[in-house]
Amino acid sequence: MRLARAHGCAIGACLLLLVAGATRANPEPPALDVDEAAPGVFVHMGKLLPLDAPGHDDIANIGFVVGSRCIAVIDTGGSPRIGRALRAAVKKHSTLPICYVIDTHVHVDHVLGNIAFKDDKPEFVGHAALAEAINRSRSYFLEHYAGDFDAPPNANQIVAPDKLVATTLQLDLGGRRLELRAWPKAHTDCDLTVLVQDAGVLWTGDLLFRERVPALDGSAKGWLAAIDELARTKVKIIVPGHGPIARDSASAWLPERNYLQTLIDGVREEIAAGKSIEDAMSHVGAAEKANWKLWDSANARNVSRVYQELEWE
Amino acid sequence: MQSRRRSWFWPVTRFVEFARCARLHRALIALALAAGFAATPAPALEESNSPPTGAWEFLRTQFYGDREIGVVDEEFMRLDAPANTPDPAATPLTLHFGKGAVGNIKQVRLIIDNNPLPLASTIDLGKDVPVDEIDLRVRVDRFTSARAIAETNDGRLEMRSAWIKASGGCSAPPSAADGGTMGEIRFRPSPDAKSLQVSIRHPNHSGFQIDPKTGDAIPPHYVSHMRLSSNGKTLVDVDSGISLSENPTLRIVSDQPFAAPLTLDAEDSKQGHYSATWTGAAAAGQPTAADGTH
Repeated sequence: MRLARAHGCAIGACLLLLVAGATRANPEPPALDVDEAAPGVFVHMGKLLPLDAPGHDDIANIGFVVGSRCIAVIDTGGSPRIGRALRAAVKKHSTLPICYVIDTHVHVDHVLGNIAFKDDKPEFVGHAALAEAINRSRSYFLEHYAGDFDAPPNANQIVAPDKLVATTLQLDLGGRRLELRAWPKAHTDCDLTVLVQDAGVLWTGDLLFRERVPALDGSAKGWLAAIDELARTKVKIIVPGHGPIARDSASAWLPERNYLQTLIDGVREEIAAGKSIEDAMSHVGAAEKANWKLWDSANARNVSRVYQELEWE
Repeated sequence: MQSRRRSWFWPVTRFVEFARCARLHRALIALALAAGFAATPAPALEESNSPPTGAWEFLRTQFYGDREIGVVDEEFMRLDAPANTPDPAATPLTLHFGKGAVGNIKQVRLIIDNNPLPLASTIDLGKDVPVDEIDLRVRVDRFTSARAIAETNDGRLEMRSAWIKASGGCSAPPSAADGGTMGEIRFRPSPDAKSLQVSIRHPNHSGFQIDPKTGDAIPPHYVSHMRLSSNGKTLVDVDSGISLSENPTLRIVSDQPFAAPLTLDAEDSKQGHYSATWTGAAAAGQPTAADGTH
């Protein structure tokens, strides 16, 4: 089912091949722009766009780490196309094999590019809860992000992890180690961070949003606890899931921490005063609005989530 | 007008579409089809502030035959919902009753036209109960009109509606509030006791959520009935279905303080019974210890 063979076949057979192996029939897109944040640590900066804007498959920070033996890709973008563009960037910088594809969590903008690396036969690595989270999300992705799949969209393009991390895991890329850590429910129920030990680079996934308003899909209290622990980790470079790279741990985490604390405090007050979830959604967090971009895309939903979490504490 | 008329089986077709899109549970299909085959041709009526969508024309005939339904102004009744709901699985619906309505309404049906099972709740109000606001949290599956049809004590039907843009509320996975002790009941009065929120810890599985272990739909399991009463006298009695959100919540507001004791009795679709009484003893705003029997 390779592209070369598809060229030579009869039209009917070609159509069959297109249906069966859509990804093979898609041309290689140009390589993504990547910055070398530290030696051998490459990051593509996602765009600051709403989830329904054109180009929304390219909003997350994704990239790869090159060792002396092989390469680990960290997050793969919001479409097979972005995944292929990331793979093209990997091939531009190194001829070493890709041995790991690490997913930091279940969200579509981080995992839908996995399929582009399937033929490299890497181990797909994720949080112990990621496989189930992907199962749960298949129909959601297909229904809401159909246009981001290769045509025709089908669930086989969603690749789940085969190597699961329950607590921590060390991966050896040859000459450098990655330390993976699985977190209790925070941004989602399957957040994983990656520490490039020798370079002091912490890849946070969406446990850290900078500039773009954070989106809560897990537990606000769990997220705060994760932030407090991560902010104490001594690192030189922090690669957030969204927004610019940071170099100072204390200041990098502070805005997000303040935002989540504001929501928690605000919602607790509303609940104590007997206010409805609707009241809370209409104004909690307002004081933080000036600090974030794409505010309306996430704040009211976050407040709703926090309210539903805290009304049972 | 003739061109607007759709064939009698049109609602059935719509249900089958829903079924395909959202992996409708087999029992729900059977129910929808049974209801569909019992239908009579729906009149193609126009309502000024609520163009017919989804299942409404069909349900209108089912519930109200050819009775006239007035479209009232918001002085009488108002249905508030976020036009673009940020959290489709927990969309707040707020019913406001104006002066002419308080104490004068015996029943309100809440219908979410484009939900798999559109009848979200049937709310019966106790006689002379001065409730001027009722809030529920519902799942909204797709762009839809939501409507409240009130029946007054003197037998009039009045309707208000609202558009809601949403997607995926019925199939959304459990929230961070997932778990806890099923059937735990919390009462949250405001400090002046003029509003009271009561919530039941219950997954309220819609039948459209996916079990991540098997990839199959989780069977529906939902709170089907909630009755709030005071010394045996009903304040609010709600028949509900799969459209209520996880941890179903009922909030009522009045211009007078609610007086303890108030008892919530609830049942779910698997014959679970839950009950607790608010004694008014706790500090306002704090959840009161639910003296529950499960």
